[in-house]
Amino acid sequence: MSRGLRRLAATLALPSLLVAFWWWASADSTSYYLPPLRQILSVFPRVWTVDRFETDVLPSLARLAAGYLLAAAAGIGIGVVIGRSPVVRGIAEPGLEFFRAVPPPVLVPVLMLFAGIGDQMKIIVIAAGALWPILLNTVEGVRAADPVLLDTARSYRIGGLCRLRHLTLAAAGPQIFAGLRQAVSIAIILMVISEMFAANEGLGFAIIQFQRSFAVAEMWSGTILLGLIGFGLAWAFRLVERRVLFWYVGMRAAARDH
Amino acid sequence: MLDVEHLRKVYDGHGRSVEALRDLTFRVGAGELVCLVGPSGCGKTTLLRCIAGLLEPTAGRTVLEGRPVTGPPQRMAVVLQEYGRSLFPWMTVAANVELPLREKKLPRARRRELVATALDEVGLADAGTAYPWQLSGGMQQRVAIARAVAYEPRILLMDEPFAAVDAQTRADLEDLVRRIWRDLGVTILFVTHDIDEAVYLGQRVVILSNSPTVVQEDLTVDLPAERDQLTTRADPRFTKLRGHVYEQIQRAKAGT
Repeated sequence: MSRGLRRLAATLALPSLLVAFWWWASADSTSYYLPPLRQILSVFPRVWTVDRFETDVLPSLARLAAGYLLAAAAGIGIGVVIGRSPVVRGIAEPGLEFFRAVPPPVLVPVLMLFAGIGDQMKIIVIAAGALWPILLNTVEGVRAADPVLLDTARSYRIGGLCRLRHLTLAAAGPQIFAGLRQAVSIAIILMVISEMFAANEGLGFAIIQFQRSFAVAEMWSGTILLGLIGFGLAWAFRLVERRVLFWYVGMRAAARDH
Repeated sequence: MLDVEHLRKVYDGHGRSVEALRDLTFRVGAGELVCLVGPSGCGKTTLLRCIAGLLEPTAGRTVLEGRPVTGPPQRMAVVLQEYGRSLFPWMTVAANVELPLREKKLPRARRRELVATALDEVGLADAGTAYPWQLSGGMQQRVAIARAVAYEPRILLMDEPFAAVDAQTRADLEDLVRRIWRDLGVTILFVTHDIDEAVYLGQRVVILSNSPTVVQEDLTVDLPAERDQLTTRADPRFTKLRGHVYEQIQRAKAGT
């Protein structure tokens, strides 16, 4: 078996096992709330049609992308400013700790007051939650840049944008990506939550609708779809990360071999 | 060329101040290769950072070609001991050498040319597309030297650049420094704790005292200009100079 196949098998082994277990354990289920997996899968294609993708899934994903990108831009931008200056850090840190501790879902009713109930509010909720891991990791990554590297850059008079791009952001890259990765799952959660209040479309809205109308198998099929979306995003994220941080992977492998 | 005048550095912190450098004065003439040697912990790195404009002295000043150093000077390149941490791991070897040139706003063709010449000079003509972490320690330090050479500095500061490489690599790199110095006519200030290395490389050896540091002796190395790892190190004059420096450093440690 080739290496690629073996890795694919290793990746799929546990999920297949879990699905098989779920199938087997729920096969004879008579519980109203836990229908057999067979039944959930059989409603899946009926529920998640092209139409429904257009009205519910794609708008949700668009808001997810908008909120996430907003959080990434703000988190990295503000993180660099805070990370580079001990003075700014001293001033900003107590505030950051406070806002980080506020769970974003509680902001939903407040945000509804001034951002309405449209896309804007939902995007702000997603961004407000996804921001923190990105921001805090960026601060940490920028702050921890190697002093020898900083001295080298200074002695060669490397400054401005060149320094920002080739030194500050690159050096903080591994940490920034750690934050970005955490933010993906937080953003998905908030995408769903933001659609639970005063919404009329969206993946989260659809799932809540099914739940409220006791369409339990349909509700479960929505949950499975959410899981699949999360899985797909994580996979795409790893592809990007591997491309951007290939040097980090290589360097760590080299350090292990010595 | 480079004048260090009454340089003094006191570190203040937590109610206790440490006088690292007391009063240092020496000069490096244009085109000279001067080695700074001193007992460990005598503030060699502090001194070098002051000269490089990376650290502000408490008193005194450094004057480079008539202009006092207040920040990193334009035509000065620095090679540090920690080669592994002074190269950008996310860039290829060629990009590492090229980065300071981009900041100098040189046209692309000229940058390419300087990078190729510099890598060739240090014997790494084929390593341009490799990443630093794919190279051995000695090769990484060659990249750092190539980066300094490509920058076309008038003065090159080297802070114990070979302290972390093995003995054979070290001998090669010492000869490389001598060759670059003679080929390019650059002024070099080379800091080391290795007495043999200081005498082998330098035209002059400035011996530093224990901390708080002053200049213990400024010694001219009257060895032939053509130096060779075998014959120079076997030269009785080399042995004598080495013995002298050793003695001075022992005296420096004892504080006399």
